[in-house]
Amino acid sequence: MKREVDARGEACPKPVIMTKKALDEITDGVVITIVDNEVAKENVSKLAKSSGYEFEVDKKSDSEYYVRIIKGEAKEEANVCIPDTFKDMTIAFSSSTMGEGSEELGKILIKSFIYTLTESVPYPSTLIFYNGGVKLTCEGSEVLDDLKKLEEQGVEILSCGTCLDFFKIQDELQVGGVTNMYTILEKIKNPTNNIIIG
Amino acid sequence: MESKEFGILTFESTHHAIEGEKLFKNLELKFKTIPTPREITSSCGLSIKFDLKHIDEVEEIVNEKSLAIKGIYKLWKENTKNHIEKIY
Repeated sequence: MKREVDARGEACPKPVIMTKKALDEITDGVVITIVDNEVAKENVSKLAKSSGYEFEVDKKSDSEYYVRIIKGEAKEEANVCIPDTFKDMTIAFSSSTMGEGSEELGKILIKSFIYTLTESVPYPSTLIFYNGGVKLTCEGSEVLDDLKKLEEQGVEILSCGTCLDFFKIQDELQVGGVTNMYTILEKIKNPTNNIIIG
Repeated sequence: MESKEFGILTFESTHHAIEGEKLFKNLELKFKTIPTPREITSSCGLSIKFDLKHIDEVEEIVNEKSLAIKGIYKLWKENTKNHIEKIY
């Protein structure tokens, strides 16, 4: 069975709800959801992921994404994403401390900041760590618990590969993935949705 | 740490909080330094969050080291809203 959901022009969380409905209506088969923006694509993908279904994304253009979800034999339904939990926002950490003036205080502030992120909804969609910031995602960091908690909630966590390499801590990464400057630029180029902390 | 109810130890100043954190790090007690919840004070303070089952140990340390604390609170969540009660 194959179903197509055209969610172009629909505002969040509509595309997710439409996709969920289509998935619920079939016992197995394929649902293809068409959306017109990156965030909607992410949210629909997250729904597929959290439901345990295989999916693939075909980007036809900047305003046309096809998310193909395969509903196979019934797997246990995981926590279904609540789209309102996320805000399309990137927070970039340029250092393992927050602000200048006192390193001791800076370390405490950054811990406080990341803890506070776990306490406030909507969560940012992405956290990026570069330069000294990568120390926060590696072994020995005091914020690993909080970052893991955020990752479990679906927050994307990315550390700069060049930086991990520079500090020779590639093998010590404990949370999230590795990224490069192209992705970093992509995530922070929109001034309306990013914050740089450092 | 995941329980809905926990203890919050607040300090007289940021410096006292940093001192307090150092002391707690030497103990075998799970805690976390967090920004003081807004329900306790709106100023930008730091406090120590701990499991209420360690309340006796926490009080002991506070007395023994004469930490400059402001108070100890019980904090719990109901419908994502924080509630507090001063316990010390």
